[in-house]
Formats: sequence, structure tokens, C-alpha cells
Amino acid sequence: MNYTFQFGEALKELPYLLGGAIVTLEIAFMAFWSGAILGLAGAYGLVYGPRWIKRSVGTYITFFTNTPSVVQIFFLFYALPEAGILLSSFTAVTLGLALNSAAYLAEIQRAGFLSVRQTEIDAAETLGMSRFQMLRYVIVPHIARTIYPPLSSFFIWLVLGSSIGALYGVEELTGRAINIATSNLRTIEIFLVTALIYVVLTLCASVSLGLVGRYFFRVKGGLLR
Amino acid sequence: MAHLEIDNLCASYGNTPVLKGISLDVEKSEVVSLIGPSGSGKSTLLRALVGVTKPTEGTVRIGETTVDYRSAASLRSVRDSMAIVFQQYNLFQNMTVMDNVTIAPIKIKKWNKAEVRKHAAELLERVGLSAKHNAYPDELSGGQQQRVAIARALCLRPQLLLLDEVTSALDPELVGEVLDTIRDLARDGMTMLIVSHEMGFVREVSSRIVMMDKGAVVEKGPPAQIFDAPEQERTRDFTARILSH
Repeated sequence: MNYTFQFGEALKELPYLLGGAIVTLEIAFMAFWSGAILGLAGAYGLVYGPRWIKRSVGTYITFFTNTPSVVQIFFLFYALPEAGILLSSFTAVTLGLALNSAAYLAEIQRAGFLSVRQTEIDAAETLGMSRFQMLRYVIVPHIARTIYPPLSSFFIWLVLGSSIGALYGVEELTGRAINIATSNLRTIEIFLVTALIYVVLTLCASVSLGLVGRYFFRVKGGLLR
Repeated sequence: MAHLEIDNLCASYGNTPVLKGISLDVEKSEVVSLIGPSGSGKSTLLRALVGVTKPTEGTVRIGETTVDYRSAASLRSVRDSMAIVFQQYNLFQNMTVMDNVTIAPIKIKKWNKAEVRKHAAELLERVGLSAKHNAYPDELSGGQQQRVAIARALCLRPQLLLLDEVTSALDPELVGEVLDTIRDLARDGMTMLIVSHEMGFVREVSSRIVMMDKGAVVEKGPPAQIFDAPEQERTRDFTARILSH
């Protein structure tokens, strides 16, 4: 291989790339939180709802977990305008990822609901706790602890998955990397730097999520052993 | 007047009746044990007394007051005077030992925090767990968890302690430490209603024994009667089978 690496061009564009990293985080954050809230409603419906709610949520989950998110976003981006709803590429991608995440996060949170042990409920009841006290002291902490690790991994997945935005012209990290690479043709260097930024992003996220998990939810393992 | 008076208590799971008119008195400082085959309704009786399983008929009187299991206020007062310890310990997994023991008195009863913690420390010392205040349940053995559960029940200063097969889920070598704790409580005059399959222990610790079968009381009497001279055929069968093990 007689390729000469020249990182000068790539490093010159570092601020532009880092700006893209911020957009990446924005998409991941927004998609995660809206997905988590939608998913919470879905999980609640799946566990406690009447049959028609269970069916509808089930259908939603089946649809969104069995089609590629690229296709889902295509639909939002190209089909909705036909119905008079015009979304910017950023909104379409974030919304698409949020709807997709909602399906997965509903499943994760449902597992959380189901993990609450009847034995602990019985104990809380006989110790004289009201419904609200039970939720506050027993049920919510238990669910939080159970679903924290899968939620963290899902967030990391979203940080990486938001690169799908590049396909629709969103100027997040990958999108910006493509922009630079097509103009200065230092593709290998640009993408090496980009990959490195992704690694730093996800490592920082893992470590901080791990710290939060360890101190607030008594979660063991992960990167911090 | 008896401390706890149960009269014609009935309960069912769905359409299956599991308690068919139980009547039973427990005097203050008495230790009454319920024995009988699985499915005879012993555990259900304890669960019905604290209102986890709702009784369908009958009355329960604690001291002077009659319990109304449909009223939240009445249920609260029942749970003030009775504490139950379950077979599976039922500790809160997300709390330390100390928090498990003190959460109800501090957060629910709003008792003075410092006093409750002091009392809890004494109770934990008494059950031999003073070194484990900050441990979590999943770091303890079954016997240790069960002793925490007993301390948690006692921290509410109940007048009556209900023990539901508290040694059944334990490894054999851990049973002794829990039974020692209960013996100790009996010696101090704690009023207890015990469901247990440890016949030797039941015989030694109980002032009276109630033999149950198929949701009804078969026979009541002092340990010597139940084990050595039972009046009922059913009791004789049961004790003979259990003791021959």
C-alpha cells in the first residue's frame, strides 16, 4: 500500500465535525426521550391496558421492530409531503428514530413492569404503605434499576444509529464527514477522524451512564468493573 | 378477653373456598402454631388476617376493636398491631438492610428518625446482624435475609407477630439461626401466630397448636395433646406421617 496519510485537511475541519457531533447528540437525546415517554405509555398499556390497547400497542411494536428505520424515515420524509405534511430532514429523522425507539423502549419498560415482585408488593402493603408510597419507595426504584442497563445501551445505539440522518442530508457527524470527503477527497482520513469522534462520544456516554447507574441504581458491570 | 379473636373467618381464591369458617383465639403472650398439610389454608389464614387476601365472611377482633377489611382506615390499624413475616422474606431488593427495617416507621408512621434507627440497630444486633446495616438483600444468605425480615416486622412494635413458614425456603443449615431468633422472641413474651412444618420446634415453642385441614380447624390443644394423644383421626394421621420422617 503506497497511500500517504495526510491528516492536515481532516484536522482543519475538526471544528466543523465536532459541530456535527453535537447535532448527533441532539438527535439521539430527542429521539431517546420522546421514544422513552411514548414507550412508557406503550408499556403501561401492554401490562395494564384493556385488550384492544394491548393489541394496538402490539401491532405498533411488531411493525416498527420488523421494518428498517431507513424505510420508516423514508416514509416520513417522502410520503408525508404528499399528504401536505412537510418535515425538515432533521425533524423527519429525529421523529422517525423516536417512533422506532418507542417500540423497543416499550418492550424494555414492559420487562421492567413485569420484574416487580409480588412478594415486595405484599410486604409494602402489610407494612402499611399507601399506593403512592408503594410506587415511590418500591415499584419505581425497582423498575429503574432493572431497565437502566438496557436503556443505557439503547442510548448508545441511538448515538450511532443517528448516522442514518446522513442519507437524508442531515448535517450530523456522518453527514458532515461525507460533505468534507466529497470536496477534498481525503475520505480515509476524514472517516478515521470521524470514527474516532464516535468512539470518544460513546465511551464518554458509557462511562457517565455507568457512573450514574452505579451510584443511583446499584448497577454493576459495564465498562466500570 | 382474648387478644386476637377470629370468628367464622372465610376466604376464597376466585370461586375456590380456602378458609371455611375458622374460629380461633390468641391470648396475649401466647404462641399459637398452625399445622396441617399443604393447602389446608394455614398461610391463607395469616394473609387474610393482615388483609393481603380479603376475607369474605366472619369477624376478626383485636383487643376491643373489630376489623373491617373493606375500610382502608381499619386495615391501617390492623397493620399497626400485626406484622407478618413471609416465607420468601419479601425484603425490598433496592434498599439496604437498615432501610428495609426503618422505612415503614420513618416514612409511613413518621416516627422520630433517630429513635427508629436506634431501635433498628438494637433489633439487628438481637438477630445477629449488626455488621450488615449497609448490606443489600442480595448480598445476604437466606437465613440472614429472613432475620432482617423479622427485625423489619418488629421495628413497627407490633402486638402480634405472624410468621408464615419462615424457614421453609431456607437451606437446612440456616434454619437453626432463624428458629433461635423466634425462640428468643417467645421467651420475651411476644404474642405469635406461627405456621411451620418444623414439628420439633412447634412442639417446643407453642403454648397451643391448631391442626388445620381443607380450610377448617380439625383440632386445637396443647402440644402434648396434639402430638401424643390427638383426639381426631386426621390429626393422628398427620402427626404420625410427619414425625416418621
